[in-house]
Amino acid sequence: MIDGVTLLTIVLMAGVTYLTRIGGYVVLRNRTLSGRATAVMEAAPGCVLISVIAPAFVSSNPADLLALAITLVAATRFSMLPTVLIGVASAGLLRHFIG
Amino acid sequence: MSISQAVETAGDGSRSEFRRGVASCAPVLFGTIPYALVLGAQATQKGLSTVELSAMTGLNFAGGSEFAAIQLWTSPPHVVLIVAITFLVNSRHLLMGAALAPFLRHLPRRKVFPALFFMCDESWALGLADAKQRTAAGITPAFSPRYYMGAALAMYLTWVAFTTLGALLGPMLGDVGTYGFDMAFPAVFLVLMRGMWTGMAAARPWLVSLVVAAMVYLFVPGAWYVAAGAMSGLVAAWLMAGDA
Repeated sequence: MIDGVTLLTIVLMAGVTYLTRIGGYVVLRNRTLSGRATAVMEAAPGCVLISVIAPAFVSSNPADLLALAITLVAATRFSMLPTVLIGVASAGLLRHFIG
Repeated sequence: MSISQAVETAGDGSRSEFRRGVASCAPVLFGTIPYALVLGAQATQKGLSTVELSAMTGLNFAGGSEFAAIQLWTSPPHVVLIVAITFLVNSRHLLMGAALAPFLRHLPRRKVFPALFFMCDESWALGLADAKQRTAAGITPAFSPRYYMGAALAMYLTWVAFTTLGALLGPMLGDVGTYGFDMAFPAVFLVLMRGMWTGMAAARPWLVSLVVAAMVYLFVPGAWYVAAGAMSGLVAAWLMAGDA
């Protein structure tokens, strides 16, 4: 049920995640970050998230690109649940009708 | 609840504070459940067993990084890549913990360290907002550990339970790509980024990441596009901060 490499990956993920949770409290409680370091820290999560989904932006399937455009517009207007529903529904329907 | 007892403070611990935390988290849970199910279902498609998925969400408990990890998951997984991406996605916790630190000074570390395990975007936001309201109302101490733990444990149990349920239901759903469920990932990520949006100038590094990641994805085989995109965005943020 549990693969060795998978377990190792999960344990290491959990380890670095916990370090990020306590790190801010332990290291930064009595000091302030430089302006540049703060800017990099603030940009980091968005840079990672957009990089992970970047392949969707260069899909060769017109239905996928159109669905992504709809999802992008939805994400600027709606909360999580409606956006996910709109994204999933538009991708499912457009793939069915456009191919 | 041993954890809630662990963060109980003298003179400021009551069951009603814990319940108040759970109640304030309820609307958030409603939005969390669908994508917990999607994560679980997607994980089984990538070859994780239900036990492995539950271990991941129970031990790691950070949704954004779990979505990223599942998206990049191969069999066997690329350990270094996934752990590095997990760190980068969760690096925002460093800032969150730093923002919370002034409110935690009156608490002993043996209570803070277990409590911080449960710090997620939602419990952090609720706990910090509550502490600021209590400060404005003149209540001391400003931070209510039981309120925070009520919200945090509600999130934790919901996340682990519904990602597990998603993994159990996953095989019944078939290929999620057929129905468009894979679009849930860009949707979730884009909404998370909307929440981080502070203006076009601050988002320029994201654009750099997008362009570099897309180019590397098209022209370089393997999953290097994530690391290349993320790192180029961070370099851009560093350079742009120098202009300001």
